Amino acid sequence: MTIEAFIEKFSFAIEVEPSTLDADTDFKALDIWDSLNTLSIIAMADADFNVALSGQDVESSRTVGDLWQVVKAKSKLL
Amino acid sequence: MKALSGVAVRAIAAAVPTDVARTQDYEYLNPEERLRFQKATGIASRHIVRDGQCASDLCIAAAEQAFEYLDWSRDSVGVLVLITQTGDQPVPATAIVIQQKLGLPQNCVAFDVNLGCSSYPYGLAIVGSMMQSLGINRALLLIGDVSSRVCAKHDKSSWPLFGDAGSATALELDEHATPIHLDLMSDGSGKDAIIIPGGGLASKRPPPLQGTVQIEASADGTLRRPDNLILRGADIFSFAISKVPLSIRRAVDAGGTTPDDIDLLVLHQANKMINDTIAKKLGFTPDKVPTSIEHYGNTSSASIPVTLCTNASLFREARTIAVSGFGVGLSWGSAVLQLPANSILTCVESDAIY
Repeated sequence: MTIEAFIEKFSFAIEVEPSTLDADTDFKALDIWDSLNTLSIIAMADADFNVALSGQDVESSRTVGDLWQVVKAKSKLL
Repeated sequence: MKALSGVAVRAIAAAVPTDVARTQDYEYLNPEERLRFQKATGIASRHIVRDGQCASDLCIAAAEQAFEYLDWSRDSVGVLVLITQTGDQPVPATAIVIQQKLGLPQNCVAFDVNLGCSSYPYGLAIVGSMMQSLGINRALLLIGDVSSRVCAKHDKSSWPLFGDAGSATALELDEHATPIHLDLMSDGSGKDAIIIPGGGLASKRPPPLQGTVQIEASADGTLRRPDNLILRGADIFSFAISKVPLSIRRAVDAGGTTPDDIDLLVLHQANKMINDTIAKKLGFTPDKVPTSIEHYGNTSSASIPVTLCTNASLFREARTIAVSGFGVGLSWGSAVLQLPANSILTCVESDAIY
């Protein structure tokens, strides 16, 4: 999996156009961001990457790229 | 885990209060947020107790319905277990008070168990094991919570989720009963995911909290009293979608069955997204996963019996079901069991105070 694929899945999960996001997007600063989006991202990571993200993982990541690093690190442990 | 043999479910009843709180009327979310909340959680309304009605009252209303259906003599009931986290008072155990209110005999074993969303499979295990090992013929398993009484109304992460409900499951020794297969799990490292931090003795360790009521801001910025419930939804979500499918699979495997042998999968009603994910992982289509969350919200410990009783028409014939409860503790568990035809009674509304 590449970060491009992750960005696409991420955008689909929070229902925005993929072109509006990149690795440096501060996702929690997005107008549409709310706590339900956190659940959507956790569901996406589980379904598409087989990774169990915690609420804290999402909370402590600032950018989409930060979260991708967490997903990558967790998927290596599998 | 060994199967629980020789114990049959005879009836399951559930009761909710009459007052309805609709998501579309919740003043702490704007109209757009209400729609979004309803779509994601599946919760359109919940039933909430009026002042004075307790978990015991809802459980007694359900138990009375079960007695009426079964025509059991009250003297024949030898075990009464109440599972709740919102008992009527800290001491004594609410089950003992209910023993008297239901007119059960003094030789009836009665006690409370402190569990939440995982109550149903745990309750079957606790009560069924006692019946088997002590040779007690009939038992009532009461499960219910009035979560609305412990959530702050302005707390958007808890108040619009929870509904109040009580339930009663009547069990009887029966050597011909199909064994109940169980999977029961615990993980105390997740204790903070759902917690009422105040009110117990740990919160009174030195230095004690000053005053009788203290408002404090939690990490999410919401003001709560120490005896309000805090729910960290993202952590529960992550736990549920990763751990629960495995638990259900273990219970199904234990019986030598496959998901195809299961007529219906009845899940704790926490959130539509969680349950859709669990069902999909296990290969259950939505028509095999009945719900009650749209009408009653997350009814905590009572959610599995409430869901059964909300869909009573599906149980006019005998059914093999898998149930799974998961949440506060963390505690989770699954069971595969057979329900005889017509054993699920329609959910009743009651404001009675016993």
